[in-house]
Formats: sequence, structure tokens, C-alpha cells
Amino acid sequence: MHIPDGFIPLEQCVIYYIIVIIIGYFAVRWAKNNLDERQIPLLSVLGAGVFAIMALNIPIPWGTSGHMIGSPIVSILLGSPYAGVLVMTVVLIIQSLAFGDGGVTVLGANIFNMGIIGSFVGFYLFKGLKPFIHATPAVFIGSFLAIFIAAIACAVELAIAGIFPLEDGLIFMGIYHAVIGLVGEGVISTVVYIAINNVRPDLISKGCLDSNEN
Amino acid sequence: MNVSLNKLEMEARKSSVIHNLDARIKLIMTLIIIVYSVLTSNILILILLESYIIILTFFSKLSLSYYFKRVLYILPFGGFIAIFQPFILSGTILYTLPFGININYEGIIFAVLLLTRLLVCISMIVLFSSSTPMNNIISSLRSLGFPKILAMILSMTVRYLFVFFDELENIRNAQKSRCFNIWNRKAKYLWTLKQIGYTIMMIFLNSFEKGEKIYFSMISRGYVGETVSYIKEPPMMRINYCILILTLLLIVLLEIAKPFIIL
Repeated sequence: MHIPDGFIPLEQCVIYYIIVIIIGYFAVRWAKNNLDERQIPLLSVLGAGVFAIMALNIPIPWGTSGHMIGSPIVSILLGSPYAGVLVMTVVLIIQSLAFGDGGVTVLGANIFNMGIIGSFVGFYLFKGLKPFIHATPAVFIGSFLAIFIAAIACAVELAIAGIFPLEDGLIFMGIYHAVIGLVGEGVISTVVYIAINNVRPDLISKGCLDSNEN
Repeated sequence: MNVSLNKLEMEARKSSVIHNLDARIKLIMTLIIIVYSVLTSNILILILLESYIIILTFFSKLSLSYYFKRVLYILPFGGFIAIFQPFILSGTILYTLPFGININYEGIIFAVLLLTRLLVCISMIVLFSSSTPMNNIISSLRSLGFPKILAMILSMTVRYLFVFFDELENIRNAQKSRCFNIWNRKAKYLWTLKQIGYTIMMIFLNSFEKGEKIYFSMISRGYVGETVSYIKEPPMMRINYCILILTLLLIVLLEIAKPFIIL
């Protein structure tokens, strides 16, 4: 889902940058107000962890493979979508500058898709669904739909940029990422959530704990 | 990940004209070239820019096979979308395939434009990142006015990247020694996924625990929530300005010559 350089015209890139800077401002303000200083090293180390997680290829049926993005589960574990935005911003900056994975001019768009949409959709779906269903399926649905909607947003952005027609883009990106989101993000995030809930429930932020087991 | 982290750092710590340039200058140069190549839609200009980058690469003493391998590895990400262009744009039809799929002249031109642009951007980023140690990339971001809190998180993340790649490798080796193969089709798919989930959970747990440990060791060294780093800035050598001016001159020249470069 990393859009490379040159696929989005510069004027549109600027718009995504502006959106990212505005939300980034709120994220930094949130970090200053709500994070105790202890969590700043935590965010950075989580960034490194998410980086390693993204490098782990997961086999997907059809003979392809995909990797996790991780922003929904990070938001759920830390209890705020802003945490996911910050971690993903850091990861995507390093990926684009040091590895060429995703472009520099389109960094705004990439952070918007994977960081902002991934975190906000994942976290608020989880929060919204949790009172009605068990926390575990809420994690699954939240992280699956977060990636799916981020992929749809990516297809729409490419269509606005005039690179790919909307319909084909939606079908390709939608189907491909529906499968990756289902397996790579949904199932794995759920396994991670259940496992951490069993082993170290104190690490999950209070509002996001699985209340039935506590 | 497309390259091993250690190899990347080894290449980045070599010594050459390009390696010894100031990281800030290299970052600015990279950004200028990428922004210009995104702005321009002239294939010949892009080819000239690419040859400039290749000349710089020759001066950088990078292992060329490594350099091209990295560029080739990143290309498919966008190349895939570019290859579809001749079929989806409408224009002069060159050839009609069965099922009513047309190949268009405009589409081919657009695909070539996208690919060359992608090539320029990727080869510049690869040159930049394989001639600059990761720490310097981040500290140059900081000195170019990046928000403080993000710059701090970034620089710590970069330091722990290597630890986590080792950690992941250790877990995978341990799994391998128990004959676990992630691509084994005979194992139940859900069971395999569960094992991958546990691997990822271990990385999350390690992150949390390491984050706590680092915090305590920082506090015991007097951390109060803000860091001030004292870095000895290397003196700006004249060659830094020379290369920057050379790049700017090249771009201005290309822009002036644009009406004569027709493609």
C-alpha cells in the first residue's frame, strides 16, 4: 500500500501533507498531555518493533504473501489512535528515507492512509463494537476493516491523481487488501491481543482490556 | 525487508566523496531532485537526471551490484501500476488484444514517463540512504527543523531497529530449529497463523519490556522528559556547497533547455 514517488501530482501531495501536519499537531499535543515521560521511549521502541513486524512476510492463500501494518493493534494496545499515528509516522519516515519503501513526496498520503485511517478506523471500530460484542471479535473486525478502508482510500487517491481508474482500482486494491486485511491484519492482531491479554494484561490500556476475563 | 540492515549500514559507513558530504546537504539534494522529477513530465529530462545520479553513484564507491539490486527490488512496487497504463488510458489504439483490450500510444508514453520518474526517485533515495548512516539521516532531519518530540522518537527508533531485527531473527531461528517452516503447506493454515501471531506478540512484549528498561536506565542518568544532545557539528567543507550548487545549476539548466528538449 506504499505509494511511490511520482504517482501523485505535487499539488495533491501538499494537501495530504497539510492534513497530516494538522493531525500530527493534535497527536503531539496528545502525547504531551497524556503520555507520561515513560511512554516516549516506549513509543520509539514500539516503532522499531512495528518495523520488524512489517518485515515479516505472512503467507496468504493464492500463493502470495503480505505483511501486517500494525497501526490498529498499536492504537488498541496503547488506548489512543494518536499513539498509532505517531508510531506509524516514525516508521513510514524511516521506510521512505532509508529504504525507499514509499516515496518522499507522497509521504503525506502514505501516513494518511496507513497511519491516520488505519489507527482511527481500527481504534474507534473496536471501541464502538466492544460494548456489544466480545472484545476479541471487536479487535478482529476493527483491524480488518481499518486495512480494508485504508486500501480503498489508497485506490481513491490514485484515481484522483489520474493514475488508475476508480472502478478497477477499487476492485484490485479492495479484493487484494480484503484478503490481506482478513488474514494478515485481522487474524494476527486478534492472536496478538488474546495472547497479550493472557500473559501481560497490565500492558493493555485500561479502556481496551477484555472485560469478560478480568 | 528488501535489504539486510547490516549490509545497509556497512555500505553507508564506507568513505568516499559522496559519503563524506554533509548529511543535510545530501538530504536537501535528494529532496530537490525528487521534487523536480515529480514536477517534470519530460522523459528526456528525467533520463538526464538519472545519468547525473549514476555519475554520482560511481563517485560514491558503492558496490554497484548491491546498488542496482536495491533499485531493482523497489521498482516492482510502482512498476506494477505503470505497466497497466497502456491498457487503461484511452487514446490512439495501436493494437487490439482479444477480449477488447486495447493498447494505446498515450498509455505507453505515460507508462514510460511513470517508470523513468520512479527510477530517478528510487535511485536517488537508494544513493542517499546507502551513503549516509541512518543516525545521520535522522540528525539531519532534526537540524532542518523537524518537531522535537518526533525527532527524539525517530532517533531512538533507529537505534533499536537493529536490536529488533536481531530479535526477530532469533525467534525465527528458534522456530526453524523446531522444524517450523512458515511456508509449509502441509501444516494447518490457521495453526501457522497462530504461530506467526505468537512471534509478533513476542516482539510487542519485547518492545514494551525494553521500553520500560530503557526508561529506567534513562532516568538513572538524569532524564527529565526532554533531551538535549550535544553533537559536534563537522565543519562544512567547501565541496558540500559545490555539489549543491552543481545540482541546482543542472536543474536550472534543464529547466531553461526544456523548450528545446522535446519528447
